[in-house]
Amino acid sequence: MRLGKLLLRQWRLRPGRAIATAASIAVAVGAVVATWVSASVSKTGYDRLAEVIDGVPTVDVTSRGGGRFVVDDVPHIADVPGVRAVVPLIYRPTLLRVKENRVREIAVGVDAAGLVSIGLLDLEAGEPCRGEDEILLDATLARALGLGVGDEVLFFARRRIERMQITGLVKPGSMNWFAEGASVIVDIKSLTSLARATGMVDRVRVVLMSDGNRSAVQKAIGERLPKDLMSEIPAGRASLAEDVLHAANLGLDFVTGLTVAMAFFIVGNAMLMNVSERRRGFSLLRLLGATARDIRRFVSLEAALLGVAGGIVGAAVGRAAAGPITAGIARALQSPESASAVAPWIMPAAVLLGLLVAVAAAWWPAREAGRVDLLEGVAAAPPPPPTGVSWRLITAVIVLTSLALATQALVILGYFPPRMSVPGGIGLMMAFIATTPLLLPPIVKILAFFVPPWLKIEGTLAVEQILRQPVRTALTTGVLVVAVSNGIGLGHAIRDNVDDVLGWYSRMMKADWVLSRAGLLQGVAEDQPTESQDIGVEDQIKALPGVAAVEGVGVTTGRVAGSACVIVARDIPDTGPLPLEPIDATEVEVRNALARGEAVAGTVLARRTGLKPGDEVQVEVFGRTVPVKVAALVVDYTSGGASLLVRRDVGRTLFGMQAADILLVTAATGQQETLRKPLDAIATEEGLILRSFGEVRKVVDRIVQGLVGSLWAILGLGFVVGSLGVANTVTMSVLEKKRTLGLLRAVGMTRGQVTRMVVLESVLLAAAGSAIGLGAGMVSAIFIQLSSQPLLGHPVSVTFRPSVVATNLVAAIIVTALAAWLPARRAVRLDILEAISTE
Amino acid sequence: MPIIRAEKLKKTFTSAAGATVMAVRGVDLDVEPGEFVAITGASGSGKSTLLHLLGGITLPTDGSVWLEGTNLATLNDDALAAIRRRRIGFVFQRYNLLPELSLIENVALPLVLDGAPANRSTQAAHEALVAVGMDHRAGHRPDALSGGEQQRGAVARALVTNPAIVLADEPTGALDSANSAVVLDLFRQVVTERRQTLILITHDPGVAASAGRIVRMKDGRIAEIVAGDASLAPPGAHRP
Repeated sequence: MRLGKLLLRQWRLRPGRAIATAASIAVAVGAVVATWVSASVSKTGYDRLAEVIDGVPTVDVTSRGGGRFVVDDVPHIADVPGVRAVVPLIYRPTLLRVKENRVREIAVGVDAAGLVSIGLLDLEAGEPCRGEDEILLDATLARALGLGVGDEVLFFARRRIERMQITGLVKPGSMNWFAEGASVIVDIKSLTSLARATGMVDRVRVVLMSDGNRSAVQKAIGERLPKDLMSEIPAGRASLAEDVLHAANLGLDFVTGLTVAMAFFIVGNAMLMNVSERRRGFSLLRLLGATARDIRRFVSLEAALLGVAGGIVGAAVGRAAAGPITAGIARALQSPESASAVAPWIMPAAVLLGLLVAVAAAWWPAREAGRVDLLEGVAAAPPPPPTGVSWRLITAVIVLTSLALATQALVILGYFPPRMSVPGGIGLMMAFIATTPLLLPPIVKILAFFVPPWLKIEGTLAVEQILRQPVRTALTTGVLVVAVSNGIGLGHAIRDNVDDVLGWYSRMMKADWVLSRAGLLQGVAEDQPTESQDIGVEDQIKALPGVAAVEGVGVTTGRVAGSACVIVARDIPDTGPLPLEPIDATEVEVRNALARGEAVAGTVLARRTGLKPGDEVQVEVFGRTVPVKVAALVVDYTSGGASLLVRRDVGRTLFGMQAADILLVTAATGQQETLRKPLDAIATEEGLILRSFGEVRKVVDRIVQGLVGSLWAILGLGFVVGSLGVANTVTMSVLEKKRTLGLLRAVGMTRGQVTRMVVLESVLLAAAGSAIGLGAGMVSAIFIQLSSQPLLGHPVSVTFRPSVVATNLVAAIIVTALAAWLPARRAVRLDILEAISTE
Repeated sequence: MPIIRAEKLKKTFTSAAGATVMAVRGVDLDVEPGEFVAITGASGSGKSTLLHLLGGITLPTDGSVWLEGTNLATLNDDALAAIRRRRIGFVFQRYNLLPELSLIENVALPLVLDGAPANRSTQAAHEALVAVGMDHRAGHRPDALSGGEQQRGAVARALVTNPAIVLADEPTGALDSANSAVVLDLFRQVVTERRQTLILITHDPGVAASAGRIVRMKDGRIAEIVAGDASLAPPGAHRP
């Protein structure tokens, strides 16, 4: 490089300029690294959270047409990368006779000894069952029934009654990942024999390694299966499952994308200022015979070198900054510390990012530098900056907006995956920023009216300074617009989503007390012995004085139109608000339809299966298929919305879902606390878990706040980075104006006046940027909600939140004012002659 | 054959306010090799614009400039840059040395830009500095030099590639009389010893009088061309 020496000399003579530019790159890269790392930790945390809720990560092999299938039809899949264990399962509704009691239960057939040996099943006491007359019981159920290791029970099978010995007790929760509500384990060979289904299974559950990629494993297994078998992700049984986590992941992608955009603006602005300061030098070089290509290469080389330097510093700073954030996220999501481990490729990728962002951001300044007027270098004064707005800019705004809206429309219509909303949203953000040169002058002029009279001179000069450099001012404002819109957009999206989830939960779980079983589910098929009888817990509770109402909710897994889902059967009170939020249907219509024996479907299930209100779908529960008419769609987060809900009596008739898994107890007015003792006694006696609504809400809040906390943490990081970017940009801008400030001092302005003028200029800029950012932020919020609509299956309305807006605007103005005040103080302290002589 | 020929040269500018200014309004001028032409005229008469057009710094709105038989308008940006590097030396009123580089590095810059090896460009720059009597200040940066010293450095930079033409825009305009005399003596060497063509803009009647021809500009046109005393012209050089 022929001008390499000149570059080094420029750095040596004006190190501040090079350092400020490299610092911008470091801030930008640091932001991206910190966001990457934090987002990656959040995603890992989400997966862990899903594991906590759903059990260990698994993939199921099931029959494509539903029902049982021959286990030998499943090819060898244990060697698929990421697979830890392959577990054939068969479920069998049964009845246990314990002394005088008969208890409906689901028995699961599994190789218990194998699972214990590889640590996938923990026993509290005893040994795994192996023989035909041996069973394991969930420890909670065993305690409730007063049973222990060595005791015997009568096991009712198809046309047989077997005397079974309890060989061990399973630790509560240990069998959740395969139990599907069962609390009794029988060796799979014994159960298939008892069920006269030798060699058959309901599903083969594939357990993944902790670092296994579920989608990749599902795909790899699917490729090996014969035509009549399929691999699928099991339906979640918890309230906040995969699709909700997908929505949170989409939020993280959005934050990461916006951070990259912000990084680009920070670096682009720094590069433009860096190059603008040297236009006269470039002009002189051109005059002496340098080609436009020489100048472009010079600027690009400098950008590349500063990009690498800034990238290295930024990678280290970003990693360090991510430390406390990831620790906070890990705490919020209750994921282990190892979750914060950083992929080794991130650091070199960050350095490469610094290089690429710097070179890309220098493209336009380099092009402009190459096109510099040859006479600029010898002119007595620099030429005035261009005024007016070019048609190219207006075209760019129109094109970007059209592309963004088209992308979004295609996402909503399902032609594009939801993730495509991220580039669409960023495109829209760019369009907003591109409108800055159009919007900034009138906004600044309007804001100038609010400058108090005692700052009139400073205000007039400040407005003049802003309007003089439209391109650079627009870029500085661009950083502000991204930072503010990031905060406002995501702030609204997060709050709206949380309110949506909590609103749903409040409707669903309207009760004072909640009783649930550790093993959750009891379901009994029609071919069960008819002499069975319920434990009668519900009747006991209804009989308690002070109980106003008891609602039962039964939950089981099944398949609708070939898609795994959760079947919910619940009592619907005849009066009071419907505990559901119908879409495009009234509460009365839904209530009547449910009473007729129809069902309502969660929006995500509808999206997955393509079912519409009025459709009749085939519902498969425990190997039995029943046609059900879907009356309406409802907002539901049970299993992420992949759910089908019927009235409890309908669930009993159609699916044999007899008992409730959850009992919602509403106390009579003022009787809430008086119910604690009797309910506690029943819970202890029956092996149930009793929680007040507040306690249940706390659990839900912890999960929700864990997700939200991680988003807030990353959003906060984005704001800090935006602030640093704005501070750096404003600092460079003020230092660049040293000569102007010196001239103003020379013609009689006091140091205080000049300082106030600079600060006022930045405040006006911040206010104008915030005004544009407010618009962009609200549009972003709508964009994010529209993007998550295909995932959630229902729209989440955007509510204007003054507190979110005010926090962002005030923070932006304070940060910008401070960022201007410090360098302005330094600039006005310079000797006037020294300042004037600054080129 | 003239080394530079201007034919019906016109140049129009549009100001930031949108007003159109015709700086040069149809100029025809031939300059022979080795000739010293002085351009004079009031401020705004178009003399600097004419010089910039002749040097290929800016292209005409109409008409053409022929340099050594080549129409500058037919050249692309790279070819024009090569001509500025090799065939033309520029000297301006405000010296225009790059503040980051030492004096010798500034002088060597046109050769560096032309891809000359470092030792050859440094050697040539040193010789040019010796020629202008500034070799003792070779390692100093411009901010450590006086105005006269900087302008002598600028002259050395213009001469370092041994160009065919030297274009100077009021080179003594910012100098005191003593420094002006030194710089003018350097231009005398350009014309009399190096036999290079010199086109120089000046407000100083004495300096103009020493040229072979004096071109007086008024309102963008050549008002008159008169003969100077050619006191700086080399023996046998073209005379009007």
